[in-house]
Amino acid sequence: MAVAHGAELSGHGHAHGGGHGPVQVQQRSIWLRGSWVRAIWVSFFFGTVVAGIAALIRNRLGFEAVSGQSAHEVLLTFGLVFWAIGFTVGIGCFDYWWGYLIGSHKWEQEDHSAHGAYSWRDYFKVNTDHKVIGIQYLVLTFIFFLIGGALAEGVRAELATPGTQIVSPGTYNGLFSAHATLMIFLFIIPSFAGLANFVVPLMLGAQDMAFPRLNALSFWLLLPAGLIFLASFAVGPFDAGWTNYAPLSDKTGVGDTFFTIGVQFAGASSIATAVNFLVTIVTMRAPGMSFWRMPLLVWANLATSSLVVLGTPFIAGSQFMVLYDRIMHTHFFDPAGGGNVVLYQHIFWFYSHPAVYIMMLPGFGIISEVIAIHSRKPIFGYRLIAFSTVAIGVLGFTVWAHHMFVSGMAPWLRIPMMATTMLIAVPTGIKIFSWVATLWDGVIHLTTAMLFALGFIFTFVIGGLSGVFLAVIPVDINVSDTYFVVAHIHYVLFGGSVFTIYAGIYHWFPKMTGRMYDERLGRLHFWLTFIFFNATFMPMHWLGLQGMPRRVADYDPRFATLNFIISICAFLLGASTLVFLYNIIHSWARGPIAPANPWRALSLEWQVSSPPPIFNFDEPPQVVGGPYEFGVPGARHAIVTVHEPEPAFAGAAPATLKAPEATTGASQGLLTSMRHILVVANQTVAGDELIDAVRSKAAGEPVRVTVICPQNDPSGEWVVDDREVAQATRARLDATLDRLRAAGIEATGQVVDRDPYTAVMDEVESDRPSEIIISTLPQTRSGWLRRDLVERVRHDAKIPVEHVVVDVGAKPAGGA
Amino acid sequence: MTSIAAASGATPRDEGGHVVSAYHESLMRSPVFLGMVMFIGSEIMLFGSFFTAYFYIRFSHSQYPLGGFEIPKASTGINTAILVASSFTMHWALVSAKRGKRLGLIVGLGLTLAMGLTFLGLQMREYHDLGFVPSDGAFPTTFFALTGLHGMHVLVGATLLAIAFNRAIRGHYSPDAHLGLEVTGLYWHFVDVVWIFLYTVVYLL
Repeated sequence: MAVAHGAELSGHGHAHGGGHGPVQVQQRSIWLRGSWVRAIWVSFFFGTVVAGIAALIRNRLGFEAVSGQSAHEVLLTFGLVFWAIGFTVGIGCFDYWWGYLIGSHKWEQEDHSAHGAYSWRDYFKVNTDHKVIGIQYLVLTFIFFLIGGALAEGVRAELATPGTQIVSPGTYNGLFSAHATLMIFLFIIPSFAGLANFVVPLMLGAQDMAFPRLNALSFWLLLPAGLIFLASFAVGPFDAGWTNYAPLSDKTGVGDTFFTIGVQFAGASSIATAVNFLVTIVTMRAPGMSFWRMPLLVWANLATSSLVVLGTPFIAGSQFMVLYDRIMHTHFFDPAGGGNVVLYQHIFWFYSHPAVYIMMLPGFGIISEVIAIHSRKPIFGYRLIAFSTVAIGVLGFTVWAHHMFVSGMAPWLRIPMMATTMLIAVPTGIKIFSWVATLWDGVIHLTTAMLFALGFIFTFVIGGLSGVFLAVIPVDINVSDTYFVVAHIHYVLFGGSVFTIYAGIYHWFPKMTGRMYDERLGRLHFWLTFIFFNATFMPMHWLGLQGMPRRVADYDPRFATLNFIISICAFLLGASTLVFLYNIIHSWARGPIAPANPWRALSLEWQVSSPPPIFNFDEPPQVVGGPYEFGVPGARHAIVTVHEPEPAFAGAAPATLKAPEATTGASQGLLTSMRHILVVANQTVAGDELIDAVRSKAAGEPVRVTVICPQNDPSGEWVVDDREVAQATRARLDATLDRLRAAGIEATGQVVDRDPYTAVMDEVESDRPSEIIISTLPQTRSGWLRRDLVERVRHDAKIPVEHVVVDVGAKPAGGA
Repeated sequence: MTSIAAASGATPRDEGGHVVSAYHESLMRSPVFLGMVMFIGSEIMLFGSFFTAYFYIRFSHSQYPLGGFEIPKASTGINTAILVASSFTMHWALVSAKRGKRLGLIVGLGLTLAMGLTFLGLQMREYHDLGFVPSDGAFPTTFFALTGLHGMHVLVGATLLAIAFNRAIRGHYSPDAHLGLEVTGLYWHFVDVVWIFLYTVVYLL
């Protein structure tokens, strides 16, 4: 993605190098440097050695060293844990920290060698760029989504007809357990982390996350976690469901050990990411980005990350206990030894209910973005949406026992849990109504992202309402462990989370890849998904109400018809993913080049190029207003500038300050009555033709002239020094201003953003000039004309545009 | 966690050598410190899950501990005192670093590390002498799980201390640059406070 920015990179270098030369990275052999080769040998080396040590200790303590179920479980546990740790070490996540650990360097010059992707190969390496990590997350999690989906199709294939045909009941248990586990821990939760990884630092106006290396580690923990889950199929899959309820999990086969360990790594990844997001959001906001100016996606991630930091340790705890029960024969959940079975559910659900909001709140954030931007209206009830997000997060910790109404827990807990659960419908309802109110009277653009957002509202309301049903104790007792619950969770997690993930991917696809996706295929994907999603999961409500139990491979023949229909629709739902895959892959490679801001959004990620430059912003943007002020006259979210003038220049050229009125010395009333001409030029800025054109306009009546110089990248050079470009541009601008003033014309000017179109349109919106003069090189040599700048401005600005051609080559312009 | 060194001259830099810009001015002290605070929040919840198990099992039995397991209050009390004292030496080391007193920094860190390791050793000794193992029942289960979890945290804390000690000897800390030390100290105090709670609840009450 970032290949196009190669030229800019070296320009950015000086801001980070701080005068130090680049650190020479010595290329060690592929076996020793961070690579896949090292990842493979180190992971197996770590796993084997530690398992060997464990065997040795067992032998010394008088246990069976290697034979017997007990020894297998112990050795497997140590082997898997250190295999996964070895993988992250081998791939290179700890290379920098190792130097810190042994104190070899006081402070290592960060050379950014692991930052940014210059070729597709960089996506397969440890990278500290949040944008690269975001894409790594999305691609990897989508692969797990496909695997999890295939497992679900296996479940549906078995359920297509009554009886057991395709898989044994044991394998069936493994299928649905692994399906849910992959979807929850390796698709929904981390794919939101991936989207947020890409978008949140940009939205905040930051250059990266607070802890880029921790960010990379979080990502690279996911792959071993997923592989551990999948590897369990080799020894008999874990089959106690993703909930892994004790005492079944205490007793079931060796696959369950894989589950408990995989969850630890996925959980550690989540917690590290969440801490990273929290610190980023608190400390990395650009100047002016107060909490109440943050886009709602950032709010959503703030709440989600808090939930992860406080909740995820509980599932870690619960799986540690299961693991101890399994390998150390402790008695947490064993009543015979004084333990308690219901205890497991309390600890598990204390995380896993908030986990539902961990899987939903980021989606709410995405929907807030998509709906406001694609209906061109300020979001309705910004603060209430933010507050309700936090409220859901807080309330989320008070409802866990509604999963346990039939578990035999203390009866007095039931009513309070029912009440708090129903209470959660209030903040959720606030969001739904806010979105609908935002849509009301908006100019709705039915892009694919918007379709998914609208589809989400439809399906999520159904899922939310069936959730309220389930909160009611008598209803819950009736439909507990039936397909009603399956329908509910899929309306929430597929109709909710997955729809929002699709909306987010379509919405930010142009930003991430720099290319547009195919809108027609996108719509086709939406309608196929929407129709077959509802056709698959809607009938499950009826099945559940009639009493069809979930998690059983066989069922009563009277459910046969509906199940057959559901299976057919499930296969078609699965097939609809292929449309998405084709669209994404094809568009990523061949799609039309995306403009910086195809949706005309206001938030900061859209104010940089697509894909964004490698360090996002040259200067911290100055945030001056809310992010959703569509159609509000004069409203602005932020001012994004390229490099500030060097101190020497700022002193020498006060005319370049970004406050045109301040330097004119004229009264405000006079200013507004004067004709205001906007001059756009870069290399041609001091050319005679341009000066003459302005003079002729100025003849006869007082005019005010603003000159803007978008500093573009000089062509034909491999290395661009931003400072030099800025200096040269400024010198030309100053020469122009001097010549204009000498001719008696009040003129101010500034050096602005790279993209001339954005710069002009910004100026048109903020300063409302009465006409524009665009000065370019002749047709054959003008990059602006190649990009059709004049015609585009003429079309969009809706004020007179004059085009002046200056042949700089014939007569060098300006003093520079 | 690296100290902010003066190597870059006047330009303030963070741990990674990034120029510290307007970004970091928005709130609080340092992203690293804040990150450690959040991480400790997460750690508190992890201990919370095990304490939940402990209390749940304890209060679901009328008589506790089941089977009359005895744990040494007095000798562990001494161990507790050692750990608490190590928090004070840690603080001394940090204050010394802030005042540029190299001797106090090194001695303070060394003492803290030594006391941490002593605590671990005595805890191992106690495990050995207890006369019961985790699989003997619900009380041993929760007892070993809680003290073991804490022991692992002491081990991690001691590792951090060893790193800080190493860096202190190499002269990496200065009155302006001791973030790594501060963060290590924060974690160590946390480990200490958890133990005081654990000792009170599991041993004394």
